[in-house]
Amino acid sequence: MKRPTLSSLRARWSGFVLRMPRDKADTLTLLAGALLVLAPHALHLPLWVTALCATTLAWRAAITVRGTRLPPSALLLPLAVAAAGGVWLTFHTVLGREAGVALLVLLVAFKMLEMRARRDLYVVIFLCFFLLLTTFFYAQGIGTALMMVASTVVLFTAQLSFQFTGTVPPLRRRLWLAARVVLLAAPLGIALFLVFPRIPGPLWGMPEDAGTGRTGMSDSMAPGNLAHLAQSDETAFRVRFIDPAPAQPQLYWRGLVLSRFDGRTWTQIQRLRPASAAAHPTRGPAVRHEVTLEPSGQRWLYALDLPDAAPQVSGRPSAISHEQELAAFGPIDQRVRYEAVSHPDYRLEAGPALPGAARWLALPEGFNPRALAAGEELRGYADPAQRVKAVLHTFRTEGFAYTLDPPPLGRHSVDEFLYETRAGFCEHYASAFVVLMRAAGVPARVVTGYQGGELNPVDGFMTVRQSDAHAWAEVWLAGRGWLRIDPTSAVAPERVQQGAGRAQTRNGGLTALGHLIDFGAGASPLFERVRFEMAALNNGWNQWVLNYTPERQRGVVESIAAALLDWRSFVALALCAALLALAHARRVRRRGDPIDALYSALCLQLSRRGLARGADEGPNDYRARIANTPLAPAQKDAAVQFLRLYSAYKYGARPSPASLAATLKSLLTKFR
Amino acid sequence: MIAALRRRARQWMFKPRGFERGEMFLHRRRVYILPTNAGVGFAFLLLVLLVGATNYNLALGFALTFLLATCAVADMYLTYRNLGQLYVRGGRAPSVFAGSEARFEMTLVNRSALDRYAIGVDFLRDDGPRYLADVAAGASTVIDLTIAAGERGWLRAPRVRLVSRFPLGLFRAWAYWQPDMRALVYPFPEADAPPLPVAGVARADGRGGAGDDDFAGIRNYQPGDSMRSLAWRQIARLDLADGGQLVTKHFEGGGADELVLDFNALPVQMHLELRLSRMTRWVLQAEQRGLPYGFRIGAQDYPAGLGAAHQAACLRALALHGIAAEQP
Repeated sequence: MKRPTLSSLRARWSGFVLRMPRDKADTLTLLAGALLVLAPHALHLPLWVTALCATTLAWRAAITVRGTRLPPSALLLPLAVAAAGGVWLTFHTVLGREAGVALLVLLVAFKMLEMRARRDLYVVIFLCFFLLLTTFFYAQGIGTALMMVASTVVLFTAQLSFQFTGTVPPLRRRLWLAARVVLLAAPLGIALFLVFPRIPGPLWGMPEDAGTGRTGMSDSMAPGNLAHLAQSDETAFRVRFIDPAPAQPQLYWRGLVLSRFDGRTWTQIQRLRPASAAAHPTRGPAVRHEVTLEPSGQRWLYALDLPDAAPQVSGRPSAISHEQELAAFGPIDQRVRYEAVSHPDYRLEAGPALPGAARWLALPEGFNPRALAAGEELRGYADPAQRVKAVLHTFRTEGFAYTLDPPPLGRHSVDEFLYETRAGFCEHYASAFVVLMRAAGVPARVVTGYQGGELNPVDGFMTVRQSDAHAWAEVWLAGRGWLRIDPTSAVAPERVQQGAGRAQTRNGGLTALGHLIDFGAGASPLFERVRFEMAALNNGWNQWVLNYTPERQRGVVESIAAALLDWRSFVALALCAALLALAHARRVRRRGDPIDALYSALCLQLSRRGLARGADEGPNDYRARIANTPLAPAQKDAAVQFLRLYSAYKYGARPSPASLAATLKSLLTKFR
Repeated sequence: MIAALRRRARQWMFKPRGFERGEMFLHRRRVYILPTNAGVGFAFLLLVLLVGATNYNLALGFALTFLLATCAVADMYLTYRNLGQLYVRGGRAPSVFAGSEARFEMTLVNRSALDRYAIGVDFLRDDGPRYLADVAAGASTVIDLTIAAGERGWLRAPRVRLVSRFPLGLFRAWAYWQPDMRALVYPFPEADAPPLPVAGVARADGRGGAGDDDFAGIRNYQPGDSMRSLAWRQIARLDLADGGQLVTKHFEGGGADELVLDFNALPVQMHLELRLSRMTRWVLQAEQRGLPYGFRIGAQDYPAGLGAAHQAACLRALALHGIAAEQP
């Protein structure tokens, strides 16, 4: 058997398409558009909805290709009602966002089987456009945007395919026609996007399921929490430093302070309580930076350790706690941007005594007896700083390992970690360290947040990912205040030096597949470069498209207004407009025959003298009429000669001389 | 009632501009444009998209909304451009008999580098256009617009409306044109007219007599007719393959003069239009039978003749009889 070659396949395909009656081809185009819109929803919809839609579309395609009749509504109506019932059973509502999308998807699929008039076509296409919008609930990346443009072009192709009444150009030309519409629209669309006044949403209460599927730091810490988070490569936030950035080991992004321990889980001692203004004297230079935080569904805002005041977050109030935690009032369900001022070199509550120290020393009864005993032993060191050093020394020397995949721990989690498994992630070390310190009588607390970040040399933005999530400890020493101690760095200094991703590779926490897709850690510089470019593109996208807030819009509009009011740009714009007009005029002039243009000029001159050429008057008739009119003899002769030459050029058998244009021009000047 | 109001409003808004000679250029100010029902639906969709994007704060939702909105604007421009800057000119308008369809030939000329699709052309009517045309770049398309020819006389072409919804159908662009075209409508040929007044004419003159070899027209060929008497001139005009038959010259006795169709000889009490109608039929019959005929109506007097030009002149005289001033 001979295998079909590509060209023969193509010929067969185009033959198939050409032989297909027009309405079939149009319907298939519409199906393609609908498929393009429905496909991304398959990721989120219940399986049965996806399957039903696929079946329906396949059914429609089969009907179209075979040319059979559409199913009667007596069959469709019960099916549609059953599908709606299925949505109700799945979601227990038909009003929520997910249920609404599922219903819409089914509606489009069924409407395909019930298209009878041209109006139905518009209904399907408009529904598809609305479904396109609902795709953005789940993703708004660059890829989604490209998909949006592609879907729009295909849907427009379907829409315009139905408009032809006679000749129908081939599909490629129709696609180009639709793309031309979009291309024509794009500049104006971008301008509208930038300047159209935005009303900050939501207009009405968000449905409850609006913020599902987000990862982020939780407000408690139990073994395994952070390790789970650290496997996510999602971006937590991005930072642009206004002042010079501190070195990598100083990049501690302060999040929550956890103090209450129940033997397994660390939680906050109380809900956020705003600090009195300027509670703490700061030292050293300030580092100003701008944070673009991804939506987390939590209230926490992150800033470089140690922020000195609550940042100004667009459109929502925020506060700083006594423990220097930052939080907004209300969950962050969209990307926010704020500027923070931090002092990496700080002194916090550096008095001789710590008010309310008891709550930084509390430990639960009946848990981790061995750790408590070890802590008691540490009281042997008179200097609390010595007790800290001793524990860190233990971590460093006694075979502790850093791993993202720690063995599970039981009831006495700290004891088991310290004396049995000796392998853990930052949360294990921070937790164990604080327990030991408290047992030794040193006020201590757990701080969670992020550590590190990757600077993109292309656009200067630093990306902090969920995998950079970290937990460390703070101990209070008299006269020195709260000191940051990172027990993890005693075990795995490279975690702090290089960031989490690279530390994992050293400790075998990453699978072989991870090696393949992770281009980091000394991969080829080209890959590195491409990765940074992609990240910069993505970040630019986030900054300019996804996070285009009303504030930012005001800035853009103001800068445009300022640029327009500036006389230089005004002159430049006027110049551009003049050049464009000139080019257009030249093009228009060039479009016609230059001799014809001279003829029109002559007719114009004559019509000013009351001798307009009749619409059906040829040059010869015109000449005869002019010859009999009272006109100055010189002008009359010129006109008559002009018309004779023109007539010879236009209708004569022999080609006219090259100098004709010059001759006509000189004749024309006699009228001025 | 509402339809009538709309019609009057339309008449007031789009007043005829008078007859336009020669070629008409559809420049910007002649092309009107309004959204279609689908366009109104699209506007509603845009509103829904805007509200959705605002409520859920979807940046890409805004992008989609604005892109679609400007696509509609682009569509408006392209719809105008599909119709605008087109040249339209009238062509022939052959004469017809009353009661049949008058045909006006029109040419759409596209001198731009843009293909034009799906342009509807028709005389002003309440329903949609009956004729649809595509005009490729640099090409032209000829369309025949038909209209019922009622009364005899000159029939002016009514106003023409050109419509386009291409490409997306969200807008409808249209333009009016009052072509300076007219067709001559001949009187309706009477259906059951009496036979040609051959004898009558002869008798009226009193010079009628019997003769055996006077040409009296043609009749269908019958076996036995001599080859010499075949009416070759008439046979040449007939298509045998099309059901035409051989015809033989028909000789009648009598020295009748040539056939003269005299309008004034018809009874005066007969209705004028009926008289014209009968004359029309007779002209046709005489022409069909190949009988040379003279023609008289009012002051006009045509000597005997045969052929298309003669027939046209006679029919024209009948069509315009009593119609006072010949319109320009």
